[in-house]
Amino acid sequence: MRLFLERLLHTLLVLWAVVTILFLMFRLMPGSPLAAYIHENLSEEQQKLILQQFGLDRPLWEQYFIYIGNLLQGELGVSFFQRRPVLDVLMDVFPNTIVLTLTSLVVAYIFGVLAGAFLAWKRDTAVERVAVPAVLAIRAAPEFWIGMVLLAIFSFNLGWFPSGGANSPGQFYDSELDRFLSADFLHHLILPVLTLALYLQGLPLLLMRSNMLEVMHDEFVTMARMKGLSEWTIVVRHAARNALLPVITAFALGIGGSVGGNVVVEIVFSWPGIGRMLVNAVAALDYPLAQGAFLLIAVVLIGMNFVADMLYSLLDPRVTNARVA
Amino acid sequence: MLRTKSLLLALALTVTTALSPSAFAQEDKVRKINLYAYPQAALPQSFQASNLIAQAWRQLGLDVEVKPLQRQAQTQLIWFEREKWDVTMWRMVGRPERSDPDELVYNLFHSSTAPKGFNFVGYINKEYDELAEKQRKTTNAEERKATIFKAQEILNRDQPYAFLVHPKGALAFNKAVWDEKSIVEQSGIGIRNIWTFLGATPLGQQKDLILNSSEPINATNPLYISGATDSWVTDLVWDRLMRIGADGLVKPWAAESHKWTDDTTLDVTIRSGMKWHDGKPVTADDVVFSFQAPGMGDESPMYKPFVADIASVERTGDNTIRFKLKSANASFLTSSIAKINLIPKHIWEPVMKDLLTKPENAEALKEPSMIGSGPFKMARWRANEEIVLDRFGDHWQAPKINRWILRIVPNAEATLGMLKRGEINFLGFYGGDPEVLTALAKESPNIVVKSTVDIGFEFLAFNQRRAPFDDAAFRRALSLAIDRNLMVSAAWGDFAVPANSPVSPALPFWHNPAVDKMDTGIPQARKILQDAGYRLVGGKLHYPTGKKEQLKTE
Repeated sequence: MRLFLERLLHTLLVLWAVVTILFLMFRLMPGSPLAAYIHENLSEEQQKLILQQFGLDRPLWEQYFIYIGNLLQGELGVSFFQRRPVLDVLMDVFPNTIVLTLTSLVVAYIFGVLAGAFLAWKRDTAVERVAVPAVLAIRAAPEFWIGMVLLAIFSFNLGWFPSGGANSPGQFYDSELDRFLSADFLHHLILPVLTLALYLQGLPLLLMRSNMLEVMHDEFVTMARMKGLSEWTIVVRHAARNALLPVITAFALGIGGSVGGNVVVEIVFSWPGIGRMLVNAVAALDYPLAQGAFLLIAVVLIGMNFVADMLYSLLDPRVTNARVA
Repeated sequence: MLRTKSLLLALALTVTTALSPSAFAQEDKVRKINLYAYPQAALPQSFQASNLIAQAWRQLGLDVEVKPLQRQAQTQLIWFEREKWDVTMWRMVGRPERSDPDELVYNLFHSSTAPKGFNFVGYINKEYDELAEKQRKTTNAEERKATIFKAQEILNRDQPYAFLVHPKGALAFNKAVWDEKSIVEQSGIGIRNIWTFLGATPLGQQKDLILNSSEPINATNPLYISGATDSWVTDLVWDRLMRIGADGLVKPWAAESHKWTDDTTLDVTIRSGMKWHDGKPVTADDVVFSFQAPGMGDESPMYKPFVADIASVERTGDNTIRFKLKSANASFLTSSIAKINLIPKHIWEPVMKDLLTKPENAEALKEPSMIGSGPFKMARWRANEEIVLDRFGDHWQAPKINRWILRIVPNAEATLGMLKRGEINFLGFYGGDPEVLTALAKESPNIVVKSTVDIGFEFLAFNQRRAPFDDAAFRRALSLAIDRNLMVSAAWGDFAVPANSPVSPALPFWHNPAVDKMDTGIPQARKILQDAGYRLVGGKLHYPTGKKEQLKTE
């Protein structure tokens, strides 16, 4: 319990620091959001008016406290350019990103864990000598390149998959859930997920493999062998379960890390997600929207860190007991 | 003590020797020029052009460095820090409203917009100011044309900009889906225009026109100009009294006729039988309200300037309206009548009255803003994915297609893939290499590419607040050093025509062909510099004798 509260407090402090840094970062960046309006007919009075409406004519500290005050009430402000509440704008795209991220991670981790265990078993064989460099090469390749290659082969040339978007044009659904479960949506989801999963599987695979290799040398495995248990039981029930621990926490951290970093895949596949929206908002200096998007990503990241922490202490009695002791 | 003293002396000597040669010999050498440009990834043609230009100027003895800047940073510098740059690449985008040359002829070069407005180069010329003001008030077309021709000649003489090219935008459509003859090419704009959307005739099963845009929609609000792509949608959902036709000239639309009773009085007769998307009839009161609303308080800062010239607007009969202007304005039809969206009074009046008491303005509204009287009505709005518009059957010129679907596709290659696969059947925007598009059209015979000379143009802006750019001879020399034909072929891949005027050849009535003949070349440029007194010393350009370099490189 104490651990839980301690970690919670820590998490909230980190959140506060992030919020403050975000606020300052945008306001101290050179340039003003008005620069994006210049191509229209704006006179000086109109520019002043807009600055006023954005609240940018007030002193920095006043803007900060208004911002914090709003945040505590769950009010993320209004987007400068879309003129809608930031929360509404974010919720338009956030579910799409979550679906893409979670699906990719699940696919990547299931594959990674199985392949990692398999490769650990195939230590010192030709399979390992080919597979490990291949995995590293894929991991090192840029996401957008993998994406473009998949798009070019499977969509442009073979025509098996659509070239972009999350749905076919003009499709209407009764609810978001219906939409996510529709065949059309899944058809559009496959290539982006494949791209991300290819990229993400490197980590769990190599992690699992190195954990397994370590664990296989542990004393309890030797003990199990001495007991006469089958290779399958040793590998799966004893070694793998222990090797899996770090991978589970990596999964939790992976969610946090991936949620904001998909912008490249989102652009290649025209996937309507939060990464793309964030890049556009930053380029346009749409402060409230950019801050809101960053904040959402930070909350997910910090939240998942917290979950990973808690998860580890739950799964691994050594952590909890060590603290108690 | 002695050690420190000699150390200090040595330091002082080194510093003075380091500074003095540069202080003496460079006193009248023209400083290094930073040529601000667009990044290569953003506008590869413009970036290529800026490098070719820098090469040409180096042959004149100038020290030039091309400095790419990201768009926001560039706007920030050029617009808000007008003393801090020498030369920059820039562009004016073509829009239907710019079919009337007033906006570009006036706003870009009139001295009143030099401090904070569009005349960011700081060109001050009283003779030009008079011409710009005169054309604005000359309602006789032939007289106005003569004035605008003269204005172009002055710009040619003074070269406040070195105009480079009018780009040719390339777009495409699938002729297996659309009857080729029903696709309309609008002067200076291309095939993506309302006349195409109204007339496009489906040949087969596919009755939806599906096109793409690379940017998500910000908002679709008749009182807010929120972006270029957004205006594709507002154009279709809300009607106007008049519209810019395919030939670039204004034509009657919701107003079936108009008459200038005198220089400042316009009488308009509106068409009868028009309906709003919610079924209610469009009345003269609605139209009057549409022209009053943007001026109410400060609720519509974007549209307010377009009604600023209106002294009063009132209903004079069941279907007639009278506008009284504050002063004669030759471009009133294009800049106001063809621009203001018709909005329903029964929805917007209570909303506007309410807004006057609140800090937000009309741009923040989403819900009331969906009803218009245009040929299409809003069916679905997902800003980051797609906008779906249904045809409005009750419109007097109802479209032939069922739905107009705009897909947001940021990836240029993907748009080509989609065109090939049929996911889109009209290429609404293409930011990639036009040669790839033409290659695609060759291998897929159903894809037709149409490229049109744009109303807009790309140019070099000389900051006339800083010597030697305040010297017209210097500017002319630098401009003539640039081979426009080389720009067209090497930088724009032949998808452009040379430019020497803010009025594009896409507007044949207003474009002055006399300024097209430019005698470009390095020898010609060198001669102009020589005649103006500039000297080449050690291969580098120096000011005329007696003038010194007063400014630092920015």
